[in-house]
Amino acid sequence: MKLFRPEAVPGFLSAIGLLLVWTGVSLFFLPTFLPSPLALLNQVISIFSHAAAYLVIGKTLERVLAGLVLSMLLGSLIGLVMGLRRSVESFFDGWIMVLLTFPSICWAFLAVLWFGLSDIAPIFTIVLIVLPYVAMNIWEGAKAIDKDLSDMATVFRAPRFLFLRKVLIPQLMPYIFSSLRISFALSWKIALVSEAFGASRGVGKELMYWFQGTRADMMLAWGASFMLLMVAIDALVLRPWENRVFSWRPAAV
Amino acid sequence: MASHAVVIDGLCKKFPTPSGQGEFTVIESLSLQIACGSFASIVGPSGCGKSTLLNIIAGIEPRDAGEVRVQSQDGAHSGARIGYVFQSPRLLNWLTVEDNIKFALEAQNIGRSSWDERVAKYLHMVGLAGQERNFPLKLSGGMQQRVAIARALAIEPDILLMDEPFSHLDEITARKMRVDLMQILEHARPTILFVTHSLREAVFLSEEVYMMSVKPARIFKHLRVDIPRPREPEDPRLFDLEKGLVKEFFAVLEQDFR
Amino acid sequence: MNRQTGLRWLSVFSFVAVWWLGSLVSKPDILPGPLAIGQTILTNFTIPTGPEDKSAAFHVAITLARILFSFSVAMTLGIAIGLAIGLRRKVELAFGYLISLALTIPTLLAVFLCVIWFGFSEAGGLFAVIMTVTPFVAVNMIAGAKALDKELIDMAHAFNARRGLLVRKVLVWQLMPYIFSAFRYAFGMTWKIVALAESFGLKYGIGYMFTFWFEQFNMAQVMAWVMLFVAIMLVIEHGVIARFEAKIFAWRPAHAV
Repeated sequence: MKLFRPEAVPGFLSAIGLLLVWTGVSLFFLPTFLPSPLALLNQVISIFSHAAAYLVIGKTLERVLAGLVLSMLLGSLIGLVMGLRRSVESFFDGWIMVLLTFPSICWAFLAVLWFGLSDIAPIFTIVLIVLPYVAMNIWEGAKAIDKDLSDMATVFRAPRFLFLRKVLIPQLMPYIFSSLRISFALSWKIALVSEAFGASRGVGKELMYWFQGTRADMMLAWGASFMLLMVAIDALVLRPWENRVFSWRPAAV
Repeated sequence: MASHAVVIDGLCKKFPTPSGQGEFTVIESLSLQIACGSFASIVGPSGCGKSTLLNIIAGIEPRDAGEVRVQSQDGAHSGARIGYVFQSPRLLNWLTVEDNIKFALEAQNIGRSSWDERVAKYLHMVGLAGQERNFPLKLSGGMQQRVAIARALAIEPDILLMDEPFSHLDEITARKMRVDLMQILEHARPTILFVTHSLREAVFLSEEVYMMSVKPARIFKHLRVDIPRPREPEDPRLFDLEKGLVKEFFAVLEQDFR
Repeated sequence: MNRQTGLRWLSVFSFVAVWWLGSLVSKPDILPGPLAIGQTILTNFTIPTGPEDKSAAFHVAITLARILFSFSVAMTLGIAIGLAIGLRRKVELAFGYLISLALTIPTLLAVFLCVIWFGFSEAGGLFAVIMTVTPFVAVNMIAGAKALDKELIDMAHAFNARRGLLVRKVLVWQLMPYIFSAFRYAFGMTWKIVALAESFGLKYGIGYMFTFWFEQFNMAQVMAWVMLFVAIMLVIEHGVIARFEAKIFAWRPAHAV
């Protein structure tokens, strides 16, 4: 980790400056209203020294994963067919447009009214918001397929399955990966909104609970730690995976 | 054994005009017969429909009228294996060199047991032995095109179609590739249909030269090049032939553009 | 009517048909049918119900006003911040990471915090919206600033263009696609966050109303308000904004999007 490059210095200094300002301002308020950075750190540590905290995070992660996987699979399928068949495209693009307009809170409410306080509600909400996004992305990708390579495959009489495996899907990979990362970022935020209203246990529920208790410090503690975990997953799991899949590319400019 | 590998009779092809109203005829009543095992070139100015003709023979463009018959070496109908080398390599950049060749072998239903042997043999033939595990983007343009040639040869086609395969390469690489192609074809002898806009290239490489004119495309002259192989690029007989052909071309073009 | 338009209408029709069939099969408090919802929406406009009996028009107006206000502020701030960061490397190194941080904060948390910090007030809710949308605009403008064609700027200097002329005729047009994409994206975000803010921290408005009915478990009303909201936003996004975009980008060759 190259922390001591000269370019990192201005950012480093500004971060220190902001932390100092934060600490200064927090002195004027109750710690439950605006904790200092150190108090916040303590709060986080105390939350995570109890096993219950890990169960809560695990629950939320479970839902995020389920929603994400479903959205990616169904969304990619729909997007692919839309890109390849004009008739399917015309049929679905209206739906996608409408679905992209729905605020997550609307689905959160409807899901709770329909499915009650269960796992289904957050997963349903995630899928209804993320699926159209994935479909739209993969649709773009399918439309951008290189016709020259498709012609080459036709000339060599490649059967459909071989064509899909070796020619079509590799060209969709950049689109699949970029939508994976953004969908992941979307999914966990949607999970929080959905859990806040309709779950028995989860990080969103914690946020709602502490909000009702006007405990900004607890909200920040839960929020910040969850955010950190999500960023870590993106940086340590998703991005390296993406780099490996695209190792055949020459180094980007 | 069938006498003609490719028989085209009265072929017509139309394209819609860019504005979308009406059509223009690209190819009109074109007839052509290529003998088995011969190396035939089709020469003509850019845009006259040579690539379209090749694409119709390969089956990626539909035709509007006329017949196209492609026969395998033993005379069986339309079981003919067609290999194609395009102007650009059209390799699958995410697959290694050997996997690119194996892609074509799998597409053509060739038995897996012979794959490694063929890959090694044809890569060696095009001078790329040892490059199996490399990715295409790590190779130069000339090398990528050689992989494309190896791919087309590896399926051991009855007919090899080549659409200006060296036109995107620099002159020096292209010259080397032409000489190499001659050597390669000492070993493997499918029927070859080679499209080019260069008279020099056509005369150097082939036995039969068909000259094509524009608007609409038709074959207006056929020439046999009887100089035995291996041929020298600087052979004065080739120059003479070329000069004669150029004169004929200008005469026809002048008529066409009147 | 050509095939594609026909398919679109078929799509709408099949959606309504499936909905209607679904409503026949289930109970009215689980899935009310399209007619019931349509009726509810109309009634809301004519016979007000809900807290303080304000008419639907009132709530819609309030929500639209909030959207307009916070969107304008977020665009202005976002463009300013984005350009400041994108044009000066030092500023980017010092503060760029804050934008990435801001983009990661979940909206729910932002709204909750603002409500606690600013109290249950207009200021708190709107601040949350502005705070969440501005970084998105800024990110777009940073990309735009970095993409400015230096050669065109040099050309303008070679012709001795004054600063004002340079900005107006060379810079702004290059930034237009980025401003526009920021505009569309930010608008889409803004109303969704306004809906969220109205659910917890603001009084009156469409979001406030469907939260109220949610707490009453009144399915028909919740769906009515949701549909109303979505319909209005669709009209604005695809009607108004799309027309606007076509005019601004008339100089581009027609391309198949």
